[in-house]
Amino acid sequence: MRLRETATLFVIRSLHKWLGLILGLQVLLWAGSGAFMALLDSSAVSGEAAILPVAQIPAPAAPLPLASVAERVGAPILRLQLKPLFDTYVYEATTPDAVVLLDAVNGRRIVIDAAKARALAVARYSGDAPVRSVRRIAQPTPETRDAPLPVWRVEFADKDRSTLLVSEANGEVVGVRTDTWRLWDIAWMLHIMDYGQRQTFNHPLVVTAAAAATWLALTGLILLIRSFRR
Amino acid sequence: MSRTRGSSPVSGPGSRPPLRWPALARRLHKWLALVVGIQAVLWMLGGLYMAAVHIDIIHGDRLVKAVPPRPLPVAGLVEPAHLAHLAPGLKSARLEVQAGRPVYVVDAEAGRALFDARSGRKLSPLGEAEARARAKALFAEDGEIVSATLLTKAPLEIQGRATPIWRVEFEGAWRPTFYISPQTGELVSRRHDLWRAFDVVWMLHIMDYEGRTDVNNPLLRAFTWLAVGSAVTGGWLLFYSFRRRRRRRGAVA
Repeated sequence: MRLRETATLFVIRSLHKWLGLILGLQVLLWAGSGAFMALLDSSAVSGEAAILPVAQIPAPAAPLPLASVAERVGAPILRLQLKPLFDTYVYEATTPDAVVLLDAVNGRRIVIDAAKARALAVARYSGDAPVRSVRRIAQPTPETRDAPLPVWRVEFADKDRSTLLVSEANGEVVGVRTDTWRLWDIAWMLHIMDYGQRQTFNHPLVVTAAAAATWLALTGLILLIRSFRR
Repeated sequence: MSRTRGSSPVSGPGSRPPLRWPALARRLHKWLALVVGIQAVLWMLGGLYMAAVHIDIIHGDRLVKAVPPRPLPVAGLVEPAHLAHLAPGLKSARLEVQAGRPVYVVDAEAGRALFDARSGRKLSPLGEAEARARAKALFAEDGEIVSATLLTKAPLEIQGRATPIWRVEFEGAWRPTFYISPQTGELVSRRHDLWRAFDVVWMLHIMDYEGRTDVNNPLLRAFTWLAVGSAVTGGWLLFYSFRRRRRRRGAVA
């Protein structure tokens, strides 16, 4: 009886030791990145202070009739929105292949090019720093992973390098990135162990590591109880 | 730096033994673990759950029937120019197909509302029959509706959403539940027990037991640093525990 108990304890101790050896660094990274993310203020991470709400402008009294919209879009419309886009009302028509933007009054096609994206970003930016750069992002990057691509990346010359992401499809500001977010994102990457897009926490590596670390924690807890009972 | 065996520092009887490095590491590790031990198990188990069950399943993507969007029949609809009369102070409008018919979802001074795009008739707020019909049409599984309730206060599982809101629960695995806006007819949210379990796990993970959203709370900040300490002292301890074992083996041989 005594012997069996000692043997069990030996197994638990060995498990704890070896799991600690194998997983120690990752456990430290989990704790460290978790501590770091808990320290970074979540509203600073989200960058919500860097953008203004959409400015209210009066809706046009006579927006383009539907027949004209359909003719100008020239493709089956799945969804049609009438909404303000900075200083004008637009129609946003979703077709099977693309999104088409029209000026809601004169029906002219609106294309979100670099200049337009810049103007839209400046309109929503809450600071007063000038634009540092405007870049079109077509390939996935960690910064733009949640945004539909292609997207315009408009960076401002402020201290936090605030960056507004403007959708090329419909001109909406679809995200804000700041240096606080970029720091947070490194911790997030280490925490979820997705070193590429830093996006998914549902991959075999992290599942395996978490399963093993569960044993590390459980054996530790058993040893702890034992050591205080002694 | 002392090079002791670690487990039992030898000293004369009566005198308190000086704390050697391995003993210090062990004691620190033990006391830190005493504080964070249970939380560490919860972190690991919770992390395992969050990693193992795919987020798309958690989000309940498979509960909603995938309906390929059909082209809008534009002819004969209420003109957008007329919307300002229907909804004074119009801010935005969306023309789409809901439950097989074209509708306008508008946002105006008085809030959001739903209009039949053919007749211009106001459809909102949706009544119980209408909410049930929409929920049933959107539900991807076979289960019948168990209950439909109009909530005036958003429950925790959809905190922050606009109210009133229809809560429609179905029979089926994991108690699938749809939340439908009576103002816009939209499926605002879907929940099931795997999501609810995830939410509890998340609460335990971030140690915010009330709102389940504050990742910067002082308790979490304190515990995460204690966990760092626990990991560091554990790593420190590894040096001694492996060294000692090798020696012991050598002694036996």
